[in-house]
Amino acid sequence: MSTVPVEYFLIVAAVLFVVGAVGFLLRRNLLVLLMSIELMLNSVNLTLVAYNRLHAANHAGQNLAFFVIAVAAAEAAVGLAIVLAFFRVRKTIHSDEANLLKN
Amino acid sequence: MLGNQFDTKDFALLAVVLLLPAIGAFVNGVFGKRLGKEAVRLMALTAIGGAFLASVVTFLSVPHDGGRLSWTVWRWMSVTGQSGNSVPIDVKFSVDAMTATMMLVVTGVGFLIHLYASEYMKKDPGYHRFFCYLNLFCFAMLLLITGDNLPVLFVGWEGVGMCSYLLIGFWFDDEKNARAGKKAFIVNRIGDFGLILAMALLVYYCGSLTWEGIDNSKLSLLAPVKIWPIGNLSKETLPVFLGNIIIPDKPVQVYAATLVALALFLGCAGKSAQVPLYIWLPDAMAGPTPVSALIHAATMVTAGVYLVARLHFVFLLSPAAMAVVAVIGVVTALLAASIGLFQHDLKKVLAYSTVSQLGFMFIGVGVGAFAAGFFHVFTHAFFKACLFLGAGSVIHAMHARIHDTDRSQDMRNMGGLKRFMPITRWTFFASCCAIAGFPLTAGFWSKDEILWSAFSNNVVNSKAAATPRMAPYEWPPWLGQAIYWGAILAATMTAFYMFRAYFMTFHGNFRGWSIVRGWTDPHAGHDHHDHHEEHDTSKPLEGPEPHESPAPMTAPLVVLAAFALFAGFLNAHPIHIAPLGHFLEPVFKGAEGFVSEREGAKGLMWVMMAPGFAAFLVGTAAAMYVYLNRAGQPEKVFAEKAGGLYRLIYDKWRIDELYDATVVGMVDALADIFTMADKWFIDGVLARLTAMLTALAGTLLRTLQTGRIQVYAAVMLLGLGGVGWFMVYPHADVTADDTSLRSTGEVKLAAAPGYGYTFRWEGLTGTDSQLTERSAVTVRLQPGEKKNVTVFVKNAFQLETSHTVALERPGLPPGAKAQSDGKGAAPPNVPGMVRPDIPTGEIPADDIHKLLLPRGADQGNNKGAEK
Amino acid sequence: MSGIGTFDLLFFGLTTLLVLLGGIGTVAAKNPIRGAMGLLTAIVGIAGMYLQLAAEFLAAIQIIVYAGAVVVLFLFVIMLLGPQATTSAGAAGTKVSRYFGAGVLLVTSVGAMSLLWRTRTEIAALPKLPPGHGTIEGIGRELFTTHIVPFELSGALLLVAVVGAVAVARGKQIDPTSAVKVAVAKKPTKQASGEAEAHTAHAKEAG
Repeated sequence: MSTVPVEYFLIVAAVLFVVGAVGFLLRRNLLVLLMSIELMLNSVNLTLVAYNRLHAANHAGQNLAFFVIAVAAAEAAVGLAIVLAFFRVRKTIHSDEANLLKN
Repeated sequence: MLGNQFDTKDFALLAVVLLLPAIGAFVNGVFGKRLGKEAVRLMALTAIGGAFLASVVTFLSVPHDGGRLSWTVWRWMSVTGQSGNSVPIDVKFSVDAMTATMMLVVTGVGFLIHLYASEYMKKDPGYHRFFCYLNLFCFAMLLLITGDNLPVLFVGWEGVGMCSYLLIGFWFDDEKNARAGKKAFIVNRIGDFGLILAMALLVYYCGSLTWEGIDNSKLSLLAPVKIWPIGNLSKETLPVFLGNIIIPDKPVQVYAATLVALALFLGCAGKSAQVPLYIWLPDAMAGPTPVSALIHAATMVTAGVYLVARLHFVFLLSPAAMAVVAVIGVVTALLAASIGLFQHDLKKVLAYSTVSQLGFMFIGVGVGAFAAGFFHVFTHAFFKACLFLGAGSVIHAMHARIHDTDRSQDMRNMGGLKRFMPITRWTFFASCCAIAGFPLTAGFWSKDEILWSAFSNNVVNSKAAATPRMAPYEWPPWLGQAIYWGAILAATMTAFYMFRAYFMTFHGNFRGWSIVRGWTDPHAGHDHHDHHEEHDTSKPLEGPEPHESPAPMTAPLVVLAAFALFAGFLNAHPIHIAPLGHFLEPVFKGAEGFVSEREGAKGLMWVMMAPGFAAFLVGTAAAMYVYLNRAGQPEKVFAEKAGGLYRLIYDKWRIDELYDATVVGMVDALADIFTMADKWFIDGVLARLTAMLTALAGTLLRTLQTGRIQVYAAVMLLGLGGVGWFMVYPHADVTADDTSLRSTGEVKLAAAPGYGYTFRWEGLTGTDSQLTERSAVTVRLQPGEKKNVTVFVKNAFQLETSHTVALERPGLPPGAKAQSDGKGAAPPNVPGMVRPDIPTGEIPADDIHKLLLPRGADQGNNKGAEK
Repeated sequence: MSGIGTFDLLFFGLTTLLVLLGGIGTVAAKNPIRGAMGLLTAIVGIAGMYLQLAAEFLAAIQIIVYAGAVVVLFLFVIMLLGPQATTSAGAAGTKVSRYFGAGVLLVTSVGAMSLLWRTRTEIAALPKLPPGHGTIEGIGRELFTTHIVPFELSGALLLVAVVGAVAVARGKQIDPTSAVKVAVAKKPTKQASGEAEAHTAHAKEAG
């Protein structure tokens, strides 16, 4: 078994979350936005699993991570479908172009 | 007779009686327009006829020993009584002798009037609507009389009220009719308030709402109730001059039974048109005439009498309430009869006659003669229905040429109709005799019984001796006689105005139009109920002979007239033929012991019948002289000589105007005030201010709504950062428990816990130098001492914060220095506790309350001394 | 710090490198295909971390679901949209935004590291693992007893997501900008139907 403390993984997860968040805030490509969301979800998953390592009496954290993966898969499917629909309408996947409601 | 044929505890035949009219109402109301008039007529008549047949079977099945047939349908709800017990309320129906008789009247007279109306309303476009309402009314009325408890009765009570409203305003396109319906509804609502109040009181005191349950626990209604001053109002809480005036030395107490009975009677007065709530009934004549006959004469308006008779055991517990009922009855009888003297509208005369007769009924139940009062309900249903239907027949004839409602009902336009309408004339005459009290007719027997009871009865609360807490009210000896003579006067007036109406309508010369033989209508084919048609009044109207009404209208008249003449023999006590009386006896056996014959009245029965007969003779003879022999000339002379009084009576004593000026005016003024408040304050200030604030907030927040998803995500991240910062940074929150600061000087300090927190306290006697897990400390202060305690908190991230608490213990009052050093110095003189010097020996009574002051009531002074 | 095995530290360093480089690559790449590759790298790195945290089953799931399905789905969509959609101007952000992003990343990383440094005395010892922790059996036992309701519900969620994805991607012929782009919506009928079928297939795979 690995002897690396849990805190190390938490740091990695925090940094990965910030990477995803920065990507989500700065990028305008809808596909990249979706990928950033996936990154953030993964970082949260990593946190959950890491804490589960500290409290190893049950699998609460791993189970929650499992459900997050399921939801993330669903989210990716629907999100990509929306991107396709959006592309069909606007002929672009630039997020600033999604402004039909604004006018 | 059919006593053994049915299960008395599960008498489901009532379902037939109740549901047939309900089905009729449903079918006529929903499908009537498509079915056509013939089908509607068939449906309505079948429904009410079938209900009548089932009622006959029910009547024959009622046991003669006072037992009742009951049918429980379902458990409706259950409420909580005075002592937390549950009071079940079932949808349950039951029939005893009185209910069975009433059912026969409602369905029997109801059927005749349905039959009559099927012809009378033939040309009305709202035919199906009319019969829907009429059937619905029968359903509600049957619900009212068969209900086994007050809530079921109340459903019927409201149902008949609603149908009454719908039918008064049946021709609602005329503003006047709609107003009349509204008036009836609102006035009835005042009465319903009393009924609801009575139900609440009965649940509270008796713990039951069924007839039997109330009867069984009626003695708990003898509890005295303080009605004034209300609540904890006392002389001390009011200004002196006010308190001396409105607060009596001894609280005013009444029996709960009186409250319940008066509340019930308020409901009855509303429904049965008694003073002061009678004003709606005359206006209710705006409805079609069959409606006036069925609802506003024969059945619905007698519901109040029925309710008093039904709950007679409650009323009997309170002679005071009985006196109120009887007095209101006689006042109503006199007032309405006097108004009826000079009315010109035939239906108005009959309406006031109805109010007056209802007054008679309340005299009957008010003096404890419940069977007599109820018997008058019974006979009145026949002769008054007959009179109204006869009037309808006349109006029907008048409509041949006069289409205006008011003018077609004006007796000055009638006269001499006996030649043209013999059946109507003779049935009307028979009913007039009955209501005026011609010997051996129905009205004679029932009215005579009431008059005799008023003269002879005395109501005593014989059960009050069981609860000797309060002296019960006793009737003054003159009350019965005063009621008797008032009723005799009213009976005289009744005879006068009824025969006045008869002579003006059927005798003399026809005054409606000049009769031309073979006259044909130039406007043939137009709507007969078009009231707005303009007539040229300058030249005399011409028209055909008035015609007798067709058979479906005259047949009910004949049947009802026959009953009006002969129904009296069902309860003719003076000649000892009283089958109905014996049938009803067990129902009112609870009156035994409460109602006794007054001293000195014994053996006077035949003597006291003389004034009753004299009333008939005088009234009839006067009417005959004035309107038959002199053709109304004396009335005109009277109107000229005493114009003011004549106008006053003709304007119904201007009671309506009085109400308009006082009650209605007050409510209007109140509503105006509320409108102003609503307009200026609610709408003007509150609403506008809120709208402005909302608009402002919207303007500000709109700038955040960029529509860019990244902006929203950034805001979310900001929030997330805030939460993160809150988690990472330590918090030093200290709560201080200083409840024992005054007595011992101890203060307990506790710092809020957190993950990985360690604490360091400064300012204590032994200051910590190290971080420990100790999150709570106790500080002890000397009197007058001040202290600052600081706590440093460090969390797992080695971040630190601190919080300082300033503590101060107040100094002691000068006198108490010796005692409390904070270490359990025991009372005698702990601050906050006052121990006055108790003198030995006798304490003056005025001083006792000072010794009994609750601890701390005198604390204010003490605190002041401490500071 | 002293209790960490050298091999363990090496393995952790490797996975950390994969995760962070992959993540940065995902958000910084001009071309979404490269971004997807970065995502794949990060996901594989995280799977490695799961292995270190005694979550073998989740590591397998991570590879299968994320790498096998989600990333492939992304790639399919990128291919479908074609080059003109994926390489639009300024897709990777302006210079300012790049520097800003890098700055935020730096600050956060330093902050996180400093927190780690501050708590170095408090680092808890790793508890002993009960037998079967993180295995299919261990997780499955809890998943089908304690968490059976959410498990079934997540099945329903996936079904709804599949149906929803198909419905959205097929694109009912309602065009909000029809006034402007009628011609565009009408022209490639044959191609559009083919696209719709392809979307359906991908959506199913994602579920």
